[in-house]
Amino acid sequence: MAMRGAGVRVSTGAALIGALIVWVALLGPLITLLAHLTPASVMSALSQPGAFQPLVTSVTASLLALAVILLLGTPLAYLMARGRLPFPRVWEVGVILPLLTPPLVIGLLLIFMVGPATPIGAALSHLNLTASDTFFALVVAEVYESVPFYVLGAMAAFATVDPALEQAAALLGDGRWRTWRRVTVPLAAPGLANALAVTWARAMGAFGAVLIIAYHPFGLPMQIWVTLQETGLASALPYALVLLVVALPLPIAAYIWSARARRRL
Amino acid sequence: MLVADFEVARREFSVRIHLQVPPGERLALLGRSGAGKTTTVEALAGLLRLSRGEIRLGERQLSSARHPAADLPPGRRGVGLLRQDPGLFPHLTVLQNIGYVRGADPAAARVAGERLGLGALLGARPRGLSGGEAQRVSLARALQTKVDLLCLDEPFNSLDRPLGLELLELLRRELEDSGTSAILVTHQLEEAQAFAQRLAVLHRGAILQVGHPRELVLRPASREVAELVGYRGWLTCGTQTMALHPDRVYPVGAEDGGEISARVVQMVPQGARIELELEAEGRWHGRFRCRSDRSATIGELMWFAAPGAPIFPTAPTAEEVRPG
Repeated sequence: MAMRGAGVRVSTGAALIGALIVWVALLGPLITLLAHLTPASVMSALSQPGAFQPLVTSVTASLLALAVILLLGTPLAYLMARGRLPFPRVWEVGVILPLLTPPLVIGLLLIFMVGPATPIGAALSHLNLTASDTFFALVVAEVYESVPFYVLGAMAAFATVDPALEQAAALLGDGRWRTWRRVTVPLAAPGLANALAVTWARAMGAFGAVLIIAYHPFGLPMQIWVTLQETGLASALPYALVLLVVALPLPIAAYIWSARARRRL
Repeated sequence: MLVADFEVARREFSVRIHLQVPPGERLALLGRSGAGKTTTVEALAGLLRLSRGEIRLGERQLSSARHPAADLPPGRRGVGLLRQDPGLFPHLTVLQNIGYVRGADPAAARVAGERLGLGALLGARPRGLSGGEAQRVSLARALQTKVDLLCLDEPFNSLDRPLGLELLELLRRELEDSGTSAILVTHQLEEAQAFAQRLAVLHRGAILQVGHPRELVLRPASREVAELVGYRGWLTCGTQTMALHPDRVYPVGAEDGGEISARVVQMVPQGARIELELEAEGRWHGRFRCRSDRSATIGELMWFAAPGAPIFPTAPTAEEVRPG
């Protein structure tokens, strides 16, 4: 019995050490970043003329991308979660494909799909939009790179809502929209918040597709890349810090809120 | 008046319902699991489409197989549905759950909660409630809907029996006060009798008999109905089968008109009485049970009277049914 107890203690200890190693390894890059930066270097980089422009570009483009994803992805995720779409596997493949495709390839294919020389590009030009090296192209690239994260997350969130509760709301007089607003969304909210937060982080950090179709205007990831190419590693680090400072608080806040909200349900 | 004449297709058999429920009446739909009881109330509540017929409530047509697009949606039919699963919204407090119904008066919701003994729990979330408390909340919420017909799909079955019967009695009084019609789905005769003014027996999707609960027990129209209302003894004599209800078989002396002689096989205490399991011998053959006030000894020969016991044609055996 004592031998068995000792065995359990050893295996628990080993698991804890393993978990600690993984945790430190995951946080390693962040710790390294902070270790290599001084307040002076950050101030010097950010006091350059136009230093905040990439930040403004990234935030506005990501907010727009998020709005588009929210608007189009939410109904899709709900219908998929409820199995209301014909040929559900086909829809799932459509959502997962951008996730499995390398971002660079997505960018390349987007040029052939919505670039100025394509029928879609021609149609966009009537709206004074060009999906190449424009702010609009940046939003398009960010949407493509991040939409699967939202749809899959939202789908999982909606799947946790018991359809019997939606039926109960309908029996109490709610129409579909009212049920959705009063029951479905509040119950799926913790999962939706997480999905939205991950999507935000992903949109802010979108790079591969952006590099191909939206080199200009510079967002933060592109600014990091260009600075790295032109002046080296050290001068790119302050922009990396800015990107993390802007991109991470929302996901962290959403994670904390959603964990609390789940406990309340 | 609810007038329901419809059919809903199911995998094993279709549920065919022909039923009328006058305003203010409480009807119990009695049947075994899988008989089509839930299908019936779900069709009434608008959760299922009809494959034939229609449902009318007063002047309004609720559902029609001919024009399913015109079916009234669940919340607008004036039909409520209370289920075994209370279906409380976990993100809302007890008071918010009770007052969930569109246009519900918060003060009325509070009063309804207090009337059902939920006063101290109005600010709580459903997560911490006991089964009985959750059902009270569900009941209070259902009573806020001001429906013309309330369907009850075995709502208190997951609770212990005394609590279930107490809530049913509470509900019965509320319905009586408001004059709301109700259909109670149940497989327990005792529950049906305690609640309903009329009883409809459902078997494999068909209503076999409708009548006063006591009338159905005294005069079941078929063997299936007899089984459902508690007959547990089947004595055969040639082409006739006598159905015996444990409460309607009386031990008597041989000279006092006893028509069935039987030996005691087993004795099981049932509350203050003893249920005897007996093997008939003589004119009638078969086993039956009798709830008696007095004990007996195993193997003892006794005489019994069963006044008014229903007699049905003996069901053909499997060999007789087999063709050729």
